[in-house]
Amino acid sequence: MATAIPSIACLGVIGRNNNPLHVALFPSFDPATNSFAPVRTPLQFSLLLSSTLDIFELRSRHNAANSVGLSGDFGLLHAVDERLAAYGFETNTGTKFVVIVDMRGRRIDGAVAAGLVDGRGAEKRIGAAAVGLREGEMKPVFKAMQTAYIKLLQNPFFDPDEHSPPAGLGGKKITNKKFADDMRRIGENWTPGVTNL
Amino acid sequence: MDEYPTGSLDQNIPLLLTLGTSARSTYDPKLSPALKDQAILIRSELPALDTVQAHALLSYVENRDASFLPANGRDGARRYRFRVKTAERSFLLPPRRARLPDGIEASPLPAVLHSPYSPLSPVSPLYPDGLMDTQWILKHQDFIPSVLLCFYDLVSEPSLATLCDNKIKTDVNNLRGLLSQSGYRTRLAVVLLSDQALPSVDGVQERLENIRRVCGLDPKALFLVPPNESQEELERMAENMLTTLYGVAVEYFRDLGRHSRKKRGRNMAPQPTVPPTSGTSQTLSLAGWNVRYDFKSAMFAEYRLEMDNALRSFEQAYENLLGVELFETIPSWSPRWNDARFLADVIAVRCLRCLLWNGQHSAAARRWQAHRDRVAEFVDRRGRGTNNYGWEAWEARWATVMANLIEKAEISDFAPSTLRIYLQPEKNVMGERLQPWELLHHPGYWYHLAAKHLCARRDLAHAMSEDDRMPPSFSPASHVASTAFTYDTYMCPQPHEEYPINSVQGVDHSHKIIECLMRARSEFLKRQQLRFAAELSLECARELTLAKSWRNVVELLRSLWQDLSFRAEGWLTIAEDLSWALRSAATVVGDASLVIAIDWELLSRSFTRRTNWHYDITRSLEGMAPQPRPKVCIKDGQLLPFVATSFSFGDEEGKAGQSTLGQLVIKSNAHQGSAPITLSNIEVKLGGSVSRIVLKHEAASKTTQHKHGAVKLSAVPLLDGAEGAEKAEPGHPDKADRKVTLHGAADLTLLPGQTLVFVMEIPLREPGETRAVSLTLGVESDAFELEHSLNFGEGSGVANIWYISASATKRIARASPNSVRVLPRPPKMKIKNPSWREQYYTDEPIELEFDLINEEVVEAIAKLDVDLFGEDTPAFSAEIDGHDVDESSSTSIVENDESRLQGVSLGSIESSHSLTVRLRLPPIQRSSRYDLTLRVAYHLSTDIGTPIMQTAVFQLNIVNPFEANYELLPRVHPDPWPSLFDYEGVADVSGDNDGAVASSHLTHKGLSQAWYLITRYASFASEDLRVMDVDIRLQTARTVRCFASKRDTAPGSPPEDAGGGGRVMLPNTIVEAGFDIIAQKSTLDDRSPATLDVSLVIKWSRCPNPSSASRNSPPINTTILLVPRFSLFGTEPRVLATVSYGLPTPVAVKVSPSPVPPSLLPRQPQLIILHVVIENASNHFLTFGLAMEPSEDFAFSGPKQTTLHLLPVSRRSVTYRLLPLGNKALPPSTPTTNVFGGAVLSNWIKPSLVVRDKYFQKVLRVIPAADGMKLDKDGGVLLWVPPDVEEDPEEEDESSSEEE
Repeated sequence: MATAIPSIACLGVIGRNNNPLHVALFPSFDPATNSFAPVRTPLQFSLLLSSTLDIFELRSRHNAANSVGLSGDFGLLHAVDERLAAYGFETNTGTKFVVIVDMRGRRIDGAVAAGLVDGRGAEKRIGAAAVGLREGEMKPVFKAMQTAYIKLLQNPFFDPDEHSPPAGLGGKKITNKKFADDMRRIGENWTPGVTNL
Repeated sequence: MDEYPTGSLDQNIPLLLTLGTSARSTYDPKLSPALKDQAILIRSELPALDTVQAHALLSYVENRDASFLPANGRDGARRYRFRVKTAERSFLLPPRRARLPDGIEASPLPAVLHSPYSPLSPVSPLYPDGLMDTQWILKHQDFIPSVLLCFYDLVSEPSLATLCDNKIKTDVNNLRGLLSQSGYRTRLAVVLLSDQALPSVDGVQERLENIRRVCGLDPKALFLVPPNESQEELERMAENMLTTLYGVAVEYFRDLGRHSRKKRGRNMAPQPTVPPTSGTSQTLSLAGWNVRYDFKSAMFAEYRLEMDNALRSFEQAYENLLGVELFETIPSWSPRWNDARFLADVIAVRCLRCLLWNGQHSAAARRWQAHRDRVAEFVDRRGRGTNNYGWEAWEARWATVMANLIEKAEISDFAPSTLRIYLQPEKNVMGERLQPWELLHHPGYWYHLAAKHLCARRDLAHAMSEDDRMPPSFSPASHVASTAFTYDTYMCPQPHEEYPINSVQGVDHSHKIIECLMRARSEFLKRQQLRFAAELSLECARELTLAKSWRNVVELLRSLWQDLSFRAEGWLTIAEDLSWALRSAATVVGDASLVIAIDWELLSRSFTRRTNWHYDITRSLEGMAPQPRPKVCIKDGQLLPFVATSFSFGDEEGKAGQSTLGQLVIKSNAHQGSAPITLSNIEVKLGGSVSRIVLKHEAASKTTQHKHGAVKLSAVPLLDGAEGAEKAEPGHPDKADRKVTLHGAADLTLLPGQTLVFVMEIPLREPGETRAVSLTLGVESDAFELEHSLNFGEGSGVANIWYISASATKRIARASPNSVRVLPRPPKMKIKNPSWREQYYTDEPIELEFDLINEEVVEAIAKLDVDLFGEDTPAFSAEIDGHDVDESSSTSIVENDESRLQGVSLGSIESSHSLTVRLRLPPIQRSSRYDLTLRVAYHLSTDIGTPIMQTAVFQLNIVNPFEANYELLPRVHPDPWPSLFDYEGVADVSGDNDGAVASSHLTHKGLSQAWYLITRYASFASEDLRVMDVDIRLQTARTVRCFASKRDTAPGSPPEDAGGGGRVMLPNTIVEAGFDIIAQKSTLDDRSPATLDVSLVIKWSRCPNPSSASRNSPPINTTILLVPRFSLFGTEPRVLATVSYGLPTPVAVKVSPSPVPPSLLPRQPQLIILHVVIENASNHFLTFGLAMEPSEDFAFSGPKQTTLHLLPVSRRSVTYRLLPLGNKALPPSTPTTNVFGGAVLSNWIKPSLVVRDKYFQKVLRVIPAADGMKLDKDGGVLLWVPPDVEEDPEEEDESSSEEE
């Protein structure tokens, strides 16, 4: 029996001025058509990414008030619905990484999934059983994204101030091809349980 | 939850019904009509109470109704939960047993009758094989009270007491009888309200006991409320009563629960009253009965608030219901299938509530999903599938139910103030692989989910074929049959009602969706998820657009569009979506300005291009005819501009009065292929004297243009806006004259992608910084007017670029190219002082003359400020040639070391003319130094707006022209001293009063002294000065009379100048002046010392300058030098020595102890006669010893050793004659050079004369008191020996002349 497992539907890099720097979309498996297609339109993904900014703001205010949360990993920001959930990470320069996970983005054979499903009887019986996520399973993704971003910053031709002007609003998007490739690789290679990207 | 039948999902709370009190509205449980005529009437015979006390108690009890309390277990303080209803005197109970239906023959055996709610009774809709319906839930919730609380009056009047008690007993017994007849075990409780304070406790106790016993009441069910209790006391009693009654109610439900468990324990399906004859004639299976019993147990547990038990029983009922034996066996076409599905929903909802009650939030979320998945699987497998609108309707409903449950549970962590988005999972599931959705999110997400399903429902409904949407009466029967299995109509309308054909009103999907979205939005707004709320607004607007509710769209989106954080933060796709949505609505609504603004913004290439859009701003109002013509003003930052603009100055700095090049660059980023935009005017605002540059569109403008690629460079000549400003702003003429507007005309057509460069020559007026501040683009068409202001910022892509030509650019290296520093205009006014002197002197009035020379090409209107700064600055006045200046304005104001004269109008100075200004300073007493600043502020008559300033600083040195030193030498007064013993002389003279002068002369009869004052004054001036006169002024005490007489010439004085009188003193020369002073005391008795203050008065003038010879002779100044104070008339005796040469002339001093033989005198021209005068001014008789040592240098005659006795106030003299001996050995020389040559020189001799006070043994100093004597270093007296007459006749002449 086939089991749905999570996959990354969208990776977003958001600048200090809350401006989108890079958005990478990944298709999900659609059992109805048996093909891969993004679950939402790019516009909807933009809206999803932008709605996470609310939570970044709430969290950082909350963290500042309680003087905790220096790590920058915000964990689950929110689940938009049963399928999509957004996870967030903020670097100490204010750049934010958002991962939108499609909880049913891939489908694997039930036998393979058995290792991942932790014995919840109710789910085993249901055909569209879904594998959940442990806390911290997004860490490798954020780590990989940060590594890619640092690589980008090390590029002497990349001017961070151009993308997030220190004073003011907006900024340019990241057009670096290598960075885009990195994002693509991260988004495509991640599955639950992957520890290194 | 609205769509589920009333009461089916509500939380169960025991019903408490009060009886016997009049109430505004009595409780009507709304029994179904069928049951109503069989209902049992419970009626109290006694009249209803209408006392204040009864009402107070009743209203308190009613207020404690728990129907609206949050469904959570946190509220520990509340020890009871009741649903309180009031019946006045009677109420109806549903029949306990259903009647046999009509038309059924009575069977031989007596029919077993069952409850009308049971599937066993034919009257029940469940008959014969139904499971459970809402009616049963309502039965316990609404119809049958768990506690019946009766109010009675306890009469204290002894005569009536027994009668009343008996009435109460009868009534209670009557009620009890009725209840027990009905078969329900409703608990009866009685409240007795005593009407006044009871006389004795015992009596009351007895009466109560009596009533209780007769009525067979539980001791816990009888309450007495004493009268006149305070409100608090009443509340306390009511609380106690309700708590007690709750225990009773719990007991009641426990009994019921026990009963249903017992029935389940029998493990057999009961037989219906009448075997079914219709349908499948199937009865409810045992599994069905077990579900019923479990459900009942669970419900009763819920009444008791035993949520864990309730949950267990519910879960058991749920599993059994969806199990193989029950749900699987019900055919899906049967209405029972939907009934079972409904029951499953109800059970699931109640399970969820139990979980939320216990705080198992993640479990609730998971349970919610599990039910959904399970039902979906059932529907897919056995029902009509999940791919139809009915399923989506249920999904939406299911999400809404969850949202409502969460709201009702009022979870404290979800209070909006906590700003929690979702809850952390419970501890027992913490480590598991959780779905993110299983962390319970706040209701906004659930509403959002519901809205999404509603959308899907609408989409599916709209996808139905037209055949399906035909009403069944119009379609063939076969089609109706097939449709019945295609669409799930569980709790939703048939296809022909869902989306009817022929545009009949069907289900208003949009309304439902918008309702959900708005509820979600308010939840998100509460938690400050503003962006999410904006997203929902956008979705909402989309729905409203579909519903063609345009006005609402505009209302909803306008504020979003205006402050749009998406645009500012660069989420352009979102901004674009919103803009288009708003535009389409605004077009319909007729909000022309909004349409224009949106069209204007959407021209930008940052947005994606719509393929079939015209992108022509002039056509944006097509189809609209707004009146009046709209005028749109867009401020900077309100929109994402499609033009990038910059303004650069060619130079970093310029000078006022000159001009600099300015370049305005406008780059269009409009969509390729969009219509060219013709700007009607461009206005550049500058901060500085030039306030605006206005460029007007002129298609055939004569400006020179260069084109290269997309760059068009044109040089625009600018006209000064003197008359242009007048035209532009007729209402503000005064403004126009201060600020200058420059006008130009150019072709302002902007093609997409084109860069327009305007090069302008901008005159600089005022010093300071001139900065290009903002730019306003104006578009004017027949339909509208648009103005867009843009600030020149750093960020635009065309900043820092200077177009050398259309094809070549260079980068401007300056920090802010949009500003130019304007330096002040270099002044060409000269301030000159031709007769400036290095030094000015004290005590002379100073007149300074300045020439202001206008070297400008036109006449200048000028004002003068003069500042004099220094210590003790004097006030000064200014005088201007050819002007009558009044005193007040031309005299300076002195304050704080500063003397200032401001704003002296100089009038206009013709070009290359000059004006003379004279400053007059009064004589200044002290030498000092001042800084004099002259500031001429002027403007040219041709350019009034530009002030020009010229400043000159001069240093005024004022010095003392003279300094002097002084020496006061004693002399022997020639007159004899008055005798102390000469009484007559004194008295005689005092009586002689003959003339004023004589009297003043004669009144002074005291001692007199003669002195000689030598002053040597030096010129410290840097130039020749003419000294007109030197004099002294004396000042003494009044008892002393002084006279001074100037000696004509002192040795070494410069020759007199014949020309101007007085004598010219060269710089750094010293002149000596001598004065004889005679002082006399007024009386002889006064012998105290006196002081003498002398001041030296020098009258001088400057030597007339050869250059200014024509002038009047310079004024004569008087400089007064103060001489240090001298002391006269000491009381100590003094020894004065005088010398004379040649023959001793008969001296006034008569006392000469050794007269010189006269024979010697003629032959001895070198003979020196030394008189020694000893003055005794004291009151003592003194004795002095005189000793003259012999010397090799001279021979002398006179007493070698003698003693002199001096009477008080007397003087005596001794005369020596000396003959110098050593002068032939040494050659004579000039006396001045040889003064310090040795002890004995050729022409000075030193007689060693010692005068000793005999009594004190003290040597008195011999003081030289005549010319030709001096003291040497040791204090000895030197006498000058005149040279030999034969050897040096010239010197002889000279010395003799001096002696005169």
